[in-house]
Amino acid sequence: MSSPTISTKKRLIAMLLLVSIASLSLTIRLGYLQIVKGEELKKLALEQWTRDIPVRAKRGVIFDRKGKKLAISVSADTVWCRPADVKNPKETAKILAEVLDLDEDNVYKKITSRQSVVKIKMWISKEKADILRSKKLSGIEIVDDNKRYYPYDNFAAHILGFTDIDNVGLYGIEKTYNKYLTGTPGRWIKTADAVGRQLPYANEKLYEPKDGLSVVLTIDETIQHFAEKAALEALLKNKAKRVSIIIMEPKTGDILAMASKPDYDPNNPREPLDENLKQQWKELPQKELIKKWYDMWRNFPINDVYEPGSTFKIITAAAGLEENVVTPESQFYCDGFITSVKGARLKCWRWYNPHGSETFVEGVQNSCNEVFVAVGQRLGKERMYKYIKAFGFGEKTGIELTGEQSGIIPRGPEYMKEVNLATISYGQGIAVTPIQLITAISAVANGGNLMKPRIVKELVDDKGNVVHEFKPVIKRKVISKDTSKTLLSILETVVSSGTGKKAYVPGYRVGGKTGTAQKVINGRYAEGKYVASFVAIAPVNDPKITVLVVIDEPSNGEYYGGRIAAPVAGQVIKETLNYLDVEPQFTADEQKNNNEKTVVVPEVRNLTIKDVVNKLKKAGLDYNTETLDIQKDSLVIDQFPLPGTKVKKGSMIDLYVYSRRKEDSKIIMPNLKGKTMEEVTELLNNLGLRFKFKGNGVVKSQYPAAGTMVEFNSLVKVEFGKVN
Amino acid sequence: MIKKKACDFTLMIVTILLVFIGIIMVFSSSYPEAYYKMKDGYFFLKKQMFFSALGLFAMIFFMNFDYRRFQKLSKLIFLISIILGLLIFTPLGTEFHGARRWINLGFTTFQPSEAIKLGSIIYLASYLSRKKERIKYFFKGVVPALIIIGIACGLIIIQKDLSTSATLGLTLMIMLFIAGMKFLHLTFLASIGIGGAALAILKEEFRIKRILAFLDPFKYKDTVGWQLVQSLYALGSGGIFGLGLGKSRQKFFYIPEPYNDFIFAIIGEELGFVGCVTVIILFLILIWRGIRIAINAKDLFGCLLASGIVALITVQSMIHIAVVTSSIPPTGIPLPFVSFGGTSLLIFMSAVGILLNISRYTDLDRS
Repeated sequence: MSSPTISTKKRLIAMLLLVSIASLSLTIRLGYLQIVKGEELKKLALEQWTRDIPVRAKRGVIFDRKGKKLAISVSADTVWCRPADVKNPKETAKILAEVLDLDEDNVYKKITSRQSVVKIKMWISKEKADILRSKKLSGIEIVDDNKRYYPYDNFAAHILGFTDIDNVGLYGIEKTYNKYLTGTPGRWIKTADAVGRQLPYANEKLYEPKDGLSVVLTIDETIQHFAEKAALEALLKNKAKRVSIIIMEPKTGDILAMASKPDYDPNNPREPLDENLKQQWKELPQKELIKKWYDMWRNFPINDVYEPGSTFKIITAAAGLEENVVTPESQFYCDGFITSVKGARLKCWRWYNPHGSETFVEGVQNSCNEVFVAVGQRLGKERMYKYIKAFGFGEKTGIELTGEQSGIIPRGPEYMKEVNLATISYGQGIAVTPIQLITAISAVANGGNLMKPRIVKELVDDKGNVVHEFKPVIKRKVISKDTSKTLLSILETVVSSGTGKKAYVPGYRVGGKTGTAQKVINGRYAEGKYVASFVAIAPVNDPKITVLVVIDEPSNGEYYGGRIAAPVAGQVIKETLNYLDVEPQFTADEQKNNNEKTVVVPEVRNLTIKDVVNKLKKAGLDYNTETLDIQKDSLVIDQFPLPGTKVKKGSMIDLYVYSRRKEDSKIIMPNLKGKTMEEVTELLNNLGLRFKFKGNGVVKSQYPAAGTMVEFNSLVKVEFGKVN
Repeated sequence: MIKKKACDFTLMIVTILLVFIGIIMVFSSSYPEAYYKMKDGYFFLKKQMFFSALGLFAMIFFMNFDYRRFQKLSKLIFLISIILGLLIFTPLGTEFHGARRWINLGFTTFQPSEAIKLGSIIYLASYLSRKKERIKYFFKGVVPALIIIGIACGLIIIQKDLSTSATLGLTLMIMLFIAGMKFLHLTFLASIGIGGAALAILKEEFRIKRILAFLDPFKYKDTVGWQLVQSLYALGSGGIFGLGLGKSRQKFFYIPEPYNDFIFAIIGEELGFVGCVTVIILFLILIWRGIRIAINAKDLFGCLLASGIVALITVQSMIHIAVVTSSIPPTGIPLPFVSFGGTSLLIFMSAVGILLNISRYTDLDRS
């Protein structure tokens, strides 16, 4: 037997040494990683483990100035899935697809994907949520979520704007006040394993979200409603492209209403309201569709400029009176042609029948171009330009809405030619936004202060405490009180005996100015395309509101501002001043006129509609009810004006009829088969259903089918055909 | 005949300590996977405890089994190891995680590569002690030894287990060196080995990627660098004293199979630098005692057998720790005594049993 040699032993000791050195190196390396770089690595590891789940704060409400909710957040359930925890994916997918009306394969893909959480469906109804909860599917979570809801649908859509799916404001107030409305989202911090499951260590933390502030607008829901109604009527009546109406309180610059039609429903901002358009849009390529969306979302009174035309003469007049280059009694002569401007052939709008000799007041009443060119020339470029700037043209008004334009004015007096001065004097060759114009007119109305238009009054927290108040801001003094007073009385005569007669409202002293401008498209005046407008101040003795009506591209024959825009303004003024409880002051003539035909409104409350109608007919009054599903025995719960009020014979009395709640008013679809078109029309009208006909003859088919429960005012599609 | 004495208690205690640490750490690190995948959090713990008990019996058995009888049995043992290695290619072979490295014995699985390790060490020790003069000559001594090494490693290479094969190769080469191989031959073989390794790396794209991942693990965090980065995160978040036993986060599927090739990382995370150094010291004591036994062995076979066993433990534990600390390019090697694995535990404890038996024939102080 051989024993180990010395060499072997030496080599073994050498190995031991080598191993010791290796161990030492590894220990040093370990120390470097765990101690020297430990913190750094720990931080990275912590990032990897930590899942930060945002907890949404409730978005603030948007109120009108009286506290009516225009935009609210409602809770809606969202279904989430943690694929790692799903036990039986096939079955789960089947149930989810069934309950939520989804594609089963799609759902299956989602719930088997390698993600920690996937969203299955947002905003499902309570019933569906309850069904899912009762199924107790593992890995499926139903989370209470917030959804933005606009209870009045398309009401004030352009002001409110809308939010995206994550409740981030994209347009309007929703965007400009997004920061306040959003609140501070909370965070749910937890640690998770590599598959996304929560680690079993108690180091979770929940930071409570802080709900968003609510925004109180200066908009008055009722006045906005008047404006929208009038705008829609004007749009349809004049077959116009767009109609905008702004109503401002001149003393504060508060916007009481800002309507623009056509509009959209912010609950569903990517679909037009019009059924025909909806069909058309379906076939559009994505690119064009997006363009259509942006067009639809444009808020004309702020996002677009137009040539103001004669309404701008108010500015020229204000400048002229303020600078004393003209007085109400100054004499002018109109021969139809403006010869004083060399190199241009300018004329008065009534060049074929010149105004002849006239005072300044008459000139304004007649909207005579020659008078204003003369005033402009007396002012000169420097002063004219100074007033254009002073009234806020060419700069943003600073209204807190998205995409405001600043309009187009000359870059400076040195860039103005004689002809520019002349045309600007009567409102051509300059582009303004409706909001600029009404702000400037409000300065004329309120004694000379140019206000910053105010659309948000205050921010309130969820308990209703005012957190921040936005005070009215005077930008600058533009004209003196006297000038304002003089000009107001001149403008009153425009309505009482000038081009603005149609805006006349009995009992109220209305001042105003018409405007008709040919549209400029691609740098040229477009044939047959006009913008008719009317700007009004009422009452002139103590201005409460200024109103601007702009009718873009009327195409139903008439296009003069005095003929189509003035009556709209008149109607809005009447309704608004009534609503604002501004006491009518009838002139002696009006009084006389009134007395002859005045009747006292009878008490009709708490009577059935049948009796009310008889009573009103006897009194010589007309009536109006807004509800459609009226039964003979429906009760009138309120009336406007109230009993005892003196009104003109034939006046409209608004009746508020008790109607069953909308959701209760389910209607059973009748069988229409074999009925004629007249029969169907009568039947559906009585039921309060909208309808769409196709074909001729008698009813062949109907949708929804007979016996179906349908909502009040829902659409019924009826197809007619010949009988065999 | 030399009279039998008591065995090396220090060695025995250190071994048992390591096995004990292993049981705890396997339990801790395997719990999440066992809980979520096997629906039984104790799945790996139970197995590890069973094999620890079995290993203890094996250790005691071999402690009392005269090692010199291995010299006569060496050929048979080597043959049996080879047959076991080839059994993988019969229907008895079983696949786990895409690798065919186990044979199914019905009640449990067995990893033949572990048996080949010990079998080849015994056989090579026997060969070298019988032909102790020839090792000075290249063709007469070294080449036949290399053939033995080639057969042993080749059996593991055909299982596509390159890291185990390299571990064994290195172990057996250390035995040649201890046996007295000339430095000239060693240098020559080492250069061939390094050249061959370089070639093997350049030939396979995944190996190049591993080298790149080793050089900058964070750059390849989402692909080949994942395990390295996760291992470093584990060590780093452990710090000096660790997160506490059982409190590892990285074992929650960040480190794949944390109870296996990366168990040292979990030790680092839960027990910190202190725990890691303790484990390293335990291994060092084990190696020191092993080498002491080798030096004092009464015969050359005992010396070489002890050297081989110590070399295997040393090489494997050092590589494991080096990989976990990202000190060498990544490869998958379990930590002896500690990592999960029945066959491995059984073989290593048997090997220590053999070491202990050798120690009984030496003149040493036993404490």
